[in-house]
Amino acid sequence: MFKNFFKVAFRNLLKRKGFTIINISGLAIGMASAILILLWVQNEVSRDRFHEKGDRIYRAYNKSIFDNKLQCWSTTPKILAPTIQKDYPEVEEVTRVHWGANLLFSLGDKRLNVRGTMVDSGFLHMFSLPLVKGNPDKALSNTYSIIVTEKLAKKLFSDEDPMNKVVKIDNRDNFTVTAVMKDLPNNTMFDFEYLLPWSYMKARDWDDDNWDNNSTMTFVMLKQNASITAFNNKIKNITYDHLKGREKIEVFMYPLEDQYLYNRFENGKPAGGRITTIRVFTTIAMLILLIACINFMNLSTARSEKRAKEVGIRKVVGAMKSSLITQFLGESVLIALIAAVIAIVLVQLALPSYNLLVKKNLRLEFGNPYFWLAGLGFVLFTGLIAGSYPAFFLSSFRPVAVLKGTFRKVSALITPRKVLVVAQFTFAIALIICTIIIQHQINYAQQRETGYDRTNLAYVFLCGDMEKNMQLIKNDLISQGIATNISKTSAPITESWSDSWGFEWPGKDPNDKTDFYRFCSDGNLVKTTGMKIIQGRDIDLINYPTDSTALVLNESAVKAMNLKNPIGTPIKDNGIDWHVVGVVQDFILQNPYEPMRPMVVEGPKGWFNVVHIKFNEANGMQKNIAETEKIFKRYNPEYPFEYKFVNEEYAQKFADEETTATLARLFSALTIFISCLGLFGLATYMAENRIKEIGVRKVLGASVANITALLSRDFLRLVIVAIVIATPIAWWAMHNWLQHYTYRVPISWFTFIVAGVLAIVIALATVSYQAIKAAVANPVKSLRTE
Amino acid sequence: MIKITNLEKIYRTEEVETIALNKLTIDVKEGEFVAIMGPSGCGKSTLLNILGLLDDPDGGSFIFNGVEVAHFNERKRADMRKHNIGFVFQSFNLIDELTVFENVELPLIYTGVKPADRKKRVEEVLDKMQIMHRRNHYPQQLSGGQQQRVAVARAVVNNPKLILADEPTGNLDSSNGNEVMELLTDLNEQGTTIVMVTHSEHDARFSHRIIRMLDGTTVTENILI
Repeated sequence: MFKNFFKVAFRNLLKRKGFTIINISGLAIGMASAILILLWVQNEVSRDRFHEKGDRIYRAYNKSIFDNKLQCWSTTPKILAPTIQKDYPEVEEVTRVHWGANLLFSLGDKRLNVRGTMVDSGFLHMFSLPLVKGNPDKALSNTYSIIVTEKLAKKLFSDEDPMNKVVKIDNRDNFTVTAVMKDLPNNTMFDFEYLLPWSYMKARDWDDDNWDNNSTMTFVMLKQNASITAFNNKIKNITYDHLKGREKIEVFMYPLEDQYLYNRFENGKPAGGRITTIRVFTTIAMLILLIACINFMNLSTARSEKRAKEVGIRKVVGAMKSSLITQFLGESVLIALIAAVIAIVLVQLALPSYNLLVKKNLRLEFGNPYFWLAGLGFVLFTGLIAGSYPAFFLSSFRPVAVLKGTFRKVSALITPRKVLVVAQFTFAIALIICTIIIQHQINYAQQRETGYDRTNLAYVFLCGDMEKNMQLIKNDLISQGIATNISKTSAPITESWSDSWGFEWPGKDPNDKTDFYRFCSDGNLVKTTGMKIIQGRDIDLINYPTDSTALVLNESAVKAMNLKNPIGTPIKDNGIDWHVVGVVQDFILQNPYEPMRPMVVEGPKGWFNVVHIKFNEANGMQKNIAETEKIFKRYNPEYPFEYKFVNEEYAQKFADEETTATLARLFSALTIFISCLGLFGLATYMAENRIKEIGVRKVLGASVANITALLSRDFLRLVIVAIVIATPIAWWAMHNWLQHYTYRVPISWFTFIVAGVLAIVIALATVSYQAIKAAVANPVKSLRTE
Repeated sequence: MIKITNLEKIYRTEEVETIALNKLTIDVKEGEFVAIMGPSGCGKSTLLNILGLLDDPDGGSFIFNGVEVAHFNERKRADMRKHNIGFVFQSFNLIDELTVFENVELPLIYTGVKPADRKKRVEEVLDKMQIMHRRNHYPQQLSGGQQQRVAVARAVVNNPKLILADEPTGNLDSSNGNEVMELLTDLNEQGTTIVMVTHSEHDARFSHRIIRMLDGTTVTENILI
């Protein structure tokens, strides 16, 4: 019986090539889109959920009230981990993971700047990041031991065995390779090519026992059967107790497996996070697939008259309704299977570009049996969804009606087919509206006044002899006309590396816990970055020798401190007495979507990691870079010259939203394309079915325009209904999305008009081809056809 | 074989009620060849559909082979139909996507006959209908007469006790029409009961008995042999 079904199915597919192409290509594009999105979703939801002991691993978080809100954050004191290890028997392992840093690796003539970090030895026992060589119990036991990834081993030692090889790091210490780690998978938060033991932090005097200094990540693995609730209750006052009640900070353990997907906290409680984006994209994937299935349903039922006779005959010769349902479902599964094969080819072709777009390394796991199982499930799901309505629709035909020719298609005001077309276009139009609004929001934030001039501004991380020779570097750059100004800072001007609620100023309310960004500059920051001074002056150690403790506030800080005359105000921070010498206009340091936050720029007595260079725009940038590299090489010969442009780094702040916008654009274009494919198919059938009517109307004097309008009107009505339904849905979705941004674009009614007109134009263009074709046909010919 | 008593069928729309069969009573004996005649709209085809268990009556009794089938559900009707009844239509009603062989094979698939037996049975029937040489052709590649012979082959392949023919020569020229009538006569002579609806007096003369209908009921019966 199945052989017979497939025979008929194949012959039907071959016989009606046009519709087969529309059906299969629509389904294939829909499936390919869904697969691409689901690959991304799968990667996202598997992030750090692959660790064998993951259900016992937690990350330490703090909870405290500041800025009048109960806030949670995950940087912890360095002393927290050893204290937990020592005092809590229910803890099996604990590790600190320091922030990743680029260090110079020297080996013979090789000089590589490599990203890595420092961890406790517990790291190797907690996380499923296996060693391919070396012993996890001993690999980090010596201060000067190093674990390298396979990739770094290859870069450093080519094909030689890396074990026990020595490499010089940061141009000062020699490390011996004690283990090689398998390269990190692309679904982990960790990003390193080497691991150094935490004891090296001590050796460099980077470690501290300060319970006030939240400066590293702490991970804890509980023993089997230990209760996390009980542990959280025990540990919550650990920082508070060690600070002798100075700060009301509560510590809690948050599951490792949740910390990526549920990374947002509101009032001290988890409140979603990344999972929202994942759910949105999963819904989009399902809806795109559904739209492709709707095409299939519509085209199958539109062709019902062609299949009606077959249904009648099969019923006459003894087919049950159930066997016909099986047959039609089988057909749709077959078509889904063919579409899936094409979809896999499309996905393979699209993956390189898609990976660049989503910044991941996604791939189809052909070697994994679960891939094939999931693929089979996907095909069955799609086939059954797409085939369900046609199967029940076709199998319900009464043989008497179809065989006697009294069967006629339904032309009611509301038919399932019309409902499906409206559903398709509702989704497509809603996506167009969302895409436009997302793009508006990005443009809105991008056009926001930054508060400084990003052009020709670059920065370099301080390393090696750079700091020692800074004055010489500065002199050369300025005297050769390469740069107009240079300033050392604590962090790049596009990032906030430090913040504190511990500043003290005259008249401060003792309960005030306003959080201030903390930034440092050795002077001339205003000139280098083009910030605007509102009051006083910039920090200038050459002309004002007391400026080593000078400090500049931004406008928001003046407001937050409630200073009437800020210049000269003494401000205490970290045991140093600073004095305000100037006030600058607010500028965006961290998040362009957030309101300006209060900020303090501390003078030369601060700490420095970065040098900002304002290049001379009179020279070409290529020349500026080449000359700068020569100067840096002269004064810091051991290190490669690496720089970043502020403009490019600032643009990175929009990367997530840009990716969302690009994906929204891509998938709305695909959705429209799939919907139009279906509409084109329906229009073709409509033109075929109404061929006699068209002929008669033409004979009676209807013009081509009359006929085209007649045939397009029905579809136009459906698209207008879709616009009416899509408008409030899209408004609601975008209104909610925009609530995540404090600095947000208002939703304009014009967006809805643009999307509506666009949808109408696209639908009309799709339908009118068939309509015009039918309208210009010779009526004699069409009447003879009947 | 068939005993119909006071059979009723009424078609209703929102505004009109049409009585298609009005307390119709007919008997057909096993091995009989009965022709049903009458003007268009007299209820011939409705009767044939009910006899073929394609439609159900609104009243009366329909006993087929001693079993009351008037109120059988869809499943029972399909089961009864596939084992006992063959159909021949005016417009042949072959599936365009299947070859001659596959069209004839179709009823055997639904009755669960094994592939080897199906092949043997289909070939026998095609041979008998002298259409074996066209076994791999599609319906649209055949003449009208050949298509109707395929339809007859499909109707008899399951060895039904009853063949229902709805104007079987209506779309054929006289020569092909005669050939089809001779095929039906042969089948009847071999023991198959045939009930045929026709407008053609010529075709009706091949039968044993002509039942004439008007307004949903019988008006005369002519016994020819």
